[in-house]
Amino acid sequence: MGTIRLSINRRTLIKSGVALASSQVLGAPFVVRSLADEPIKIGMVDPLTGVLSALAQSEVDGARYAEAEINKKGGILGRQVQLLVEDSANDVGTGVQKTRKLIDRDNVSVIFGDVNSGIAYAMSQVTNEKKVFHIVPGGHTDPITGANCKWNVFRICNTTTMDANAITPELVKKFGKKWFFITPDYAYGHTLQDAFIKALKKAGGEFQGDMLPINNTDFSATLIKAKAYKPNVLLNNMGGLTQINCMKQFTQFGMQKEMALGGALFELESIKGCPPDAQTGWWTMEWWWNQPKVPEVVKFVSDFRSARKKTPSARDWFGYVAMHTVRLAAERAKSLEGPKMAKALEDLELPPDVALQPGKVRYRAGDHELMPNLFVGEVHPPKSEPDDLFTPAALVPGEEAAGSVADTGCKMVEPA
Amino acid sequence: MSSEAGTNAAVVGAGRTPAVPRWVMLIAVWAILIAVPYWLPLLGGYTALAGRVLVFGLAAMGLNLLLGFTGVLSFGHAAYFGLGAYGAGLTLRYLAHSTPLAMLLGTLLGGLAGTLFGLLIVRRRGVYFAMCTIAFGQLWYYLAYSWNDFTGGFDGLRDFHREPIGLGGLTLDITDGGNRFYFFLLAVFALAVGLLGLLVRSPFGHTLRAIRENERRARFLAIPVERQIWLSFSISCFFTALAGTLYALLNNFADPLALHYSLSGYFVVMCVMGGMRTFWGPLVGATVFVVLQDYISSMTVNWMSFVGAIFVLVVLFFPRGLLGMRGRRGSA
Repeated sequence: MGTIRLSINRRTLIKSGVALASSQVLGAPFVVRSLADEPIKIGMVDPLTGVLSALAQSEVDGARYAEAEINKKGGILGRQVQLLVEDSANDVGTGVQKTRKLIDRDNVSVIFGDVNSGIAYAMSQVTNEKKVFHIVPGGHTDPITGANCKWNVFRICNTTTMDANAITPELVKKFGKKWFFITPDYAYGHTLQDAFIKALKKAGGEFQGDMLPINNTDFSATLIKAKAYKPNVLLNNMGGLTQINCMKQFTQFGMQKEMALGGALFELESIKGCPPDAQTGWWTMEWWWNQPKVPEVVKFVSDFRSARKKTPSARDWFGYVAMHTVRLAAERAKSLEGPKMAKALEDLELPPDVALQPGKVRYRAGDHELMPNLFVGEVHPPKSEPDDLFTPAALVPGEEAAGSVADTGCKMVEPA
Repeated sequence: MSSEAGTNAAVVGAGRTPAVPRWVMLIAVWAILIAVPYWLPLLGGYTALAGRVLVFGLAAMGLNLLLGFTGVLSFGHAAYFGLGAYGAGLTLRYLAHSTPLAMLLGTLLGGLAGTLFGLLIVRRRGVYFAMCTIAFGQLWYYLAYSWNDFTGGFDGLRDFHREPIGLGGLTLDITDGGNRFYFFLLAVFALAVGLLGLLVRSPFGHTLRAIRENERRARFLAIPVERQIWLSFSISCFFTALAGTLYALLNNFADPLALHYSLSGYFVVMCVMGGMRTFWGPLVGATVFVVLQDYISSMTVNWMSFVGAIFVLVVLFFPRGLLGMRGRRGSA
């Protein structure tokens, strides 16, 4: 074996000296800070890249807007709030890793996320294990507040069942009972289609459908199949960019002349991504900005527009509600501990300036699902202004669309 | 070549004296790895990140037996990694609540799949070999993707978790995923790497290098080239599958992207970036890759551009990889 030559020359000595000194400077501020000055950290994991990126970005925008608003009014429990955003890249493994990172390294008190239901569920396994309070702003599949409900998980957006139940009677009444589904092949698509089929069978209807990959780009084969089936309604259950592609190809085929179009969700971000002739159909909207009769909404929309230079969508509202939910829960519990916040939030009613819609909106204690109104109506090309793309025909109360807690299959297990 | 002199002095022989003897290197590497839970949080890291480095490092080192030591490029090793992960996950979910059994079955599933598939493709070379491995890998990806009832489809396989390991009278509880689980990962990693090191230094390892350097000449020396490549492929699949089972345990979760060819590409990037002609290179590459991904992706959604740029810089300026560079300087 050779000899060890660990001679240190002048340059190495100087370099290591500089490195050591700089590490002292960089490391010091973290040590001396006291807890009271330390902001409350909230971690958000959302698919900022991938097919759901536009929706995810809106949720982040809404949460950032609320962050500034809360901090201006003195923060939560007297401490400032800091929102840390991580990209899940629409990949479950990455989402789980980022959740661990936020909890283990950044010591966040609360986790938000994800738009993708599969990731949201995988994240909830981590947050539940670590006993961290978790809000799912926009992942729709039923089990999150149904069969897989957890004491630490609350959800703002509707379940797929709620969205399907709200629009089904309208579609059956207006167009008929023969339906064709175009559905993405993952948890969200499956539960959504199942919910539709359940509601449709109750009305005595029949259906056919295709399951497609979540990031599918070419719909021609499926659309030809749909054309041959001659349905009354074509239900586009895809999400994000995939839904936009499907809408474009649908209108390019000229199929809007042969059948009606509809589905559970066609979000503002997606509608704006479509050309005018593809801005069509009957849909459920989970929150809508144009509510001239509610003064809180009018004020919120004008403030949000001047701060963020865009019209708030349902996703912006999800992010906004998520941040304020943390504030409300922490102030009621006077604590940031997961179990206490979860207890405080059960059956908590949102104040009008957070709910931003008529009626009472509360987190149901039995399954931790928010019970807002569902806006059912028609999507159309811009009318009075560029973002006037949807006209609600009816408001369906959340409780009515959701059914009872027993129906959801949720059995809440309290923390040990 | 000179790049090996630094890290594999024993393999090359006593022709050159490295700057730092091999045993000092080894002690340093293991000391750093064992002490991770104590120094990583001080630098703003977290232990789960180190676990991820070990898992990807082991997978890349397994691949490197084929890529760096045999000179055969596989672009489908994620398939065996993912099969290991699914094998472990499915065992824990459907068969038995036993971590060692899950690891064993996962490793066997991935390794045997690789062994059988290897039989079919050992006669292919270069880009044809690589294309076959991609195709076979994607086959498993779509199987996991579309078999919703069994594998959970796109959303991944869930509802399983690490189980405590019984060792006679003692029980090793690794369910909470803290430092104890890291040391468990490190122990498995150490065993696997030790085995890999023995293989590389064995006569078998020497024949692999002979094939890499000059296949025709190796054939003239009566080395059964096809059989050796097949063995190398299947052994590397076993190691990658073992890493896959650890990945499933680390996340309590397995998803189809663990089978996707993009992950195979990342493994190759790790090997090349760290230095594929060196034993420890892939671990260095995995460390750089995982840490960069973790840090940069918090700041920008375009983190892949940065990893790509660094990869290009490494290939341009350190064509032997980060560790290959060190070896060359050491021998000068």
